Amino acid sequence: MKREVLTLIGVVAVALAWVAPPLAGQNAAPGAASAGPAPRMADGHPDLSGVWWGGADIGAARGRGGPGGARGGGGRGTPPRTFASLYKPDVAAKAKTLGDKDDPTLRCVPTAFGTLNVSLFDVGAVGQIIATPKMVVMLTETYHGFRLVPTDGRPHRDDVPPAYRGDSVGRWDGDTFVVDTTNFTDNTWISAEGRVSPHSDALHVVERYRRVDANTLEIEARVEDPQMLTEPWIVPKQTLVLAPFDRIMSLNCSGVETQALMDAAAKQNTGK
Amino acid sequence: MKRTVRIVLAWSLASLGFAAAAWAHHSFAAAFDMNKPVTVQGTIVQVRLENPHSWFFLDVKDASGKVERWSFEAGTPSGMIRNGFKASLIGKGTQVTIKGFHAKDPSQNVGMLRELVTADGTVYGLFGSQQGPGAQ
Repeated sequence: MKREVLTLIGVVAVALAWVAPPLAGQNAAPGAASAGPAPRMADGHPDLSGVWWGGADIGAARGRGGPGGARGGGGRGTPPRTFASLYKPDVAAKAKTLGDKDDPTLRCVPTAFGTLNVSLFDVGAVGQIIATPKMVVMLTETYHGFRLVPTDGRPHRDDVPPAYRGDSVGRWDGDTFVVDTTNFTDNTWISAEGRVSPHSDALHVVERYRRVDANTLEIEARVEDPQMLTEPWIVPKQTLVLAPFDRIMSLNCSGVETQALMDAAAKQNTGK
Repeated sequence: MKRTVRIVLAWSLASLGFAAAAWAHHSFAAAFDMNKPVTVQGTIVQVRLENPHSWFFLDVKDASGKVERWSFEAGTPSGMIRNGFKASLIGKGTQVTIKGFHAKDPSQNVGMLRELVTADGTVYGLFGSQQGPGAQ
């Protein structure tokens, strides 16, 4: 009997270890335990450069809250608010007519924000920042997205059409890097994986990046879309860690088979 | 107690399965019938390590000698590669056994890859060779 109890405990422990997201820093780069202060650029501001993720990769970094362990956004027993949970009634009604097969990411179209509540990831689970005093470059892996964020105080550009990832400008608020993004197209969703989350071209995202030490990056965000939402969506704070590799991958996207599969499945599921 | 152990095991596996499905770039549950396991043996004709998901295509010969083309959807390529998969590991002509779940559309020879085994016994899961059990 005692052995069975121990077996039981062991099974549960192993299961939870794989389901639970790793804690920040758990799988960070060698030396993470002795993380020093955030490195700084020549101008004295924190250097955000690095490959950032939730502490592990696909196949391990899954489960509650996803990589980084999204926290906040609701009390005990209250699910965190999502973008779609704040839809106006007419928008919510229209969203109910959409489903998994309508997800633009099936056609290799990126998200406007990010599935794991991390814009730096887009639809993946890892992103890279290359920072200089004049420009911060944010690179996403899965769909090859990028954002070029000037830091010299210039306004948003007015000479380009709306884009999947919008147009970003940045500024420093003490040691916090604030990124303001507008000029989005309205043919993307906020998230992927069939989470119905269309938005309008009035989407406005303000993110605050803070490298709290050498291995830890905290990100907070506020998402406004007055045409679609009853109030701004305050994104739960995400805590990322430095990945133990120094570059993301470049892999193609076709999505042809996946889209066809989802279309066929939709016909089986709903008859249309 | 044995019953309790079985229940906890079932709960654990269900949680793990849900976690894997929750990660996918689309809902595997919407596309595949998890009550319809499928196993095929055949010869790889193409491997696409592409986003949003990778695909394995293979020719499968039935008892009468008729060859049918099957395709299986696997994980995100970058995750598979960081979990130990390499583009050069499995190519055209490789003999494999694939276990998975059939697409909800029964007319299609399509499945979700749960396990790919090569002739030397090497096992690859949905997310590569060094994935955790949660990805099974």
